[in-house]
Amino acid sequence: MNFQIPIGPQHPALKEPIGLRITVEGEIIRDADIRLGYNHRGIEKLAEQKTWIQNVYLTERICGICSHSHTTCYVQGVEKLMELETPKRGLYIRMLISELERIHSHLLWLGVAGHEAGFDSFFMYVWRDREIVMDILETISGNRVHYAINTIGGVRRDLDELQVKRILDSLEVLRRRSQYYLNLGTTEPSFVARLARVGYLSREDALSLCAVGPTLRASGVPMDVRKDDPYAAYDEVPFEVCTAGTCDVLGRTVVRIKELFQSYNIIEYLMKNLPTGPIAVRAPRRAKPNEVVSRYEAPRGENLHYIKSNGSDKPERLKVRAPTLGNYAATIKMLKNGFIADVPLIFAAIDPCICCAERAVALIDARTGQEKIMSLKSLKELSLKVSPTTTRKREIEWPL
Amino acid sequence: MKIGVFIPELIRHLFRTPATVDYPFKKLEVPKSFRGSPYLQPELCIVCRACERDCPAEAIEINTVKEEEKIFSLVIYNDRCIHCAQCVDSCPTKAMQMDEKFEISNFNRHNLKMDWEFVRAAVKPKAENKS
Repeated sequence: MNFQIPIGPQHPALKEPIGLRITVEGEIIRDADIRLGYNHRGIEKLAEQKTWIQNVYLTERICGICSHSHTTCYVQGVEKLMELETPKRGLYIRMLISELERIHSHLLWLGVAGHEAGFDSFFMYVWRDREIVMDILETISGNRVHYAINTIGGVRRDLDELQVKRILDSLEVLRRRSQYYLNLGTTEPSFVARLARVGYLSREDALSLCAVGPTLRASGVPMDVRKDDPYAAYDEVPFEVCTAGTCDVLGRTVVRIKELFQSYNIIEYLMKNLPTGPIAVRAPRRAKPNEVVSRYEAPRGENLHYIKSNGSDKPERLKVRAPTLGNYAATIKMLKNGFIADVPLIFAAIDPCICCAERAVALIDARTGQEKIMSLKSLKELSLKVSPTTTRKREIEWPL
Repeated sequence: MKIGVFIPELIRHLFRTPATVDYPFKKLEVPKSFRGSPYLQPELCIVCRACERDCPAEAIEINTVKEEEKIFSLVIYNDRCIHCAQCVDSCPTKAMQMDEKFEISNFNRHNLKMDWEFVRAAVKPKAENKS
C-alpha cells in the first residue's frame, strides 16, 4: 500500500521552503517529487533594470553563503564583454576570497551534516572553528557575509603585510582542526554508521543526471571547473581534484574535508606568490552588444551565468544557473529506495541552497491543474501592459 | 574504530574560554575596512551625482534647492542602504565616507534618513579618480 507524504514547503527538517512529495511503501521511499518556486524573487528581471555596476551588488544577494561566487561569475562575464584585462594582483585577491569562502561553506556544511546525523556537539565545534575564517574575511573585506570585494575590472580592497601574516597563521590552526575532523569523521563508529550507504548515487547516474560539485566528485568523477576550464589564475596554482568512491553521504563528507586541505594549500600558494601592482582597472559604463557565458566552481558545484548586452549601460538578459539546480535530479535518484528517516540527511548532503535555484516559476491553474510556462517575450509584453510608465516611488510611506 | 573518540575533545572544552563575548557590556572592535553607514562631507561635494547614479539601492537623492545660489540638498535613506560603499568608490572628491557605527537599529525607518543642505564645492575632480 502506497502513501504520499508531503514534506514542506514549511517543515522543521528543511531550512528553506521547498516542497517534497514522497511516495512511501512502509518505510521505504518509492518515488519523490520536488516542487520549486516558493522563494522566487525575480532577480533576473530586476537585473535588466540596473546598470552593470549596480548588478554586482544585486548578484551578490542571490545567495548569502556563496555570495562571492555569484559576483565573481557575473564580473568575469562582464569583464569579457567589456574586453578588460584584470590585473594579476586583483585576480589573486579574488581567488583568495573564493577559497576562503569555500572553506567557510564546507565547514558550515560539515556542521549541518553533524546536526542532521544527530551529532550536535560536532556541529558546534565545527562552527566555532568556522569563526576563524569568518574573522579573516571580515578583516579583508569589512563584512562577514556580503564581502562586496568584486568590482568590474578587479577588486576593491587591497591586502597588507599584516593581513597576509594573519591569514598564514590562521591556516595552521585550521589545518590542525580539519585533520582532527577528518580522523573523527572516518573513525567515530556511530557517525560513520549513520552516513555510510545512505543516499547511494552510482557513477553512471551521477553523470547522466548532470550532478555537480562535491555530489559528483563523491561518485568518483574528477570534474572541477577550476581544473577543466580554469578561470582567474587557477591554471598557475597547483592543486588536486578530490574524489571519493563510496558514492554515499560519507563520501560527500570526505570529499568536502579533503577539499578543505586543497583550499589551505591554494591559499598558502597565493599568499606566498602574491604579485605586486594595481588591484583594479577602470571599467567603461557601457558594453558592446555581445553575449557571454561565465563558469565558476562554487563551493556547491558549477555556477553558470549567461549575460547578454545590447550596447547600453544595462544588461539585456542575465541568466543564473546555481549549482543546486543541477543536483535536484540526482537527489530524487538518491531518495528512491531509501528510508524516510534519511530524507533530511540526503537532502542536506547536496548542500541545497533553495533561494539560489529559484529561477523559474511554472504557472498552474488552480481549477484545471494545467501547467503553463511563459516565454521571455510574453513576460515582457505582460510587464509592459501592467506598468506602462512606472516611475520610481521615492517618498513612499510605510506601510507600502 | 573505537567508541568515544570525541570524549577527550569534549572534556578539553570544559577548560577553554568561551568563544563569545558578553555583547552589550563588551564590544568587539570593527575591522579597518568595515562598512558602516555613509555620510557626506558637504564642503567637498561638487554635485557630480555619481553616487546617486551608482547606488544599487537607490538610497541617495540629490535635489536642487536654489539653482542661482548653487545650493543643493543630499538625502541618504539609511533604511534602504545596503552598506556596499559603492558611493565611496564612485565619489571623485572623497566627499562620501563610511562611518564605523553598527548599532543603528531604530523603531521608525524615517528616523534613519539623513540630509544635508550645502553650497556646491568648487573643487575640481582629480584626473585619475578611484574606479
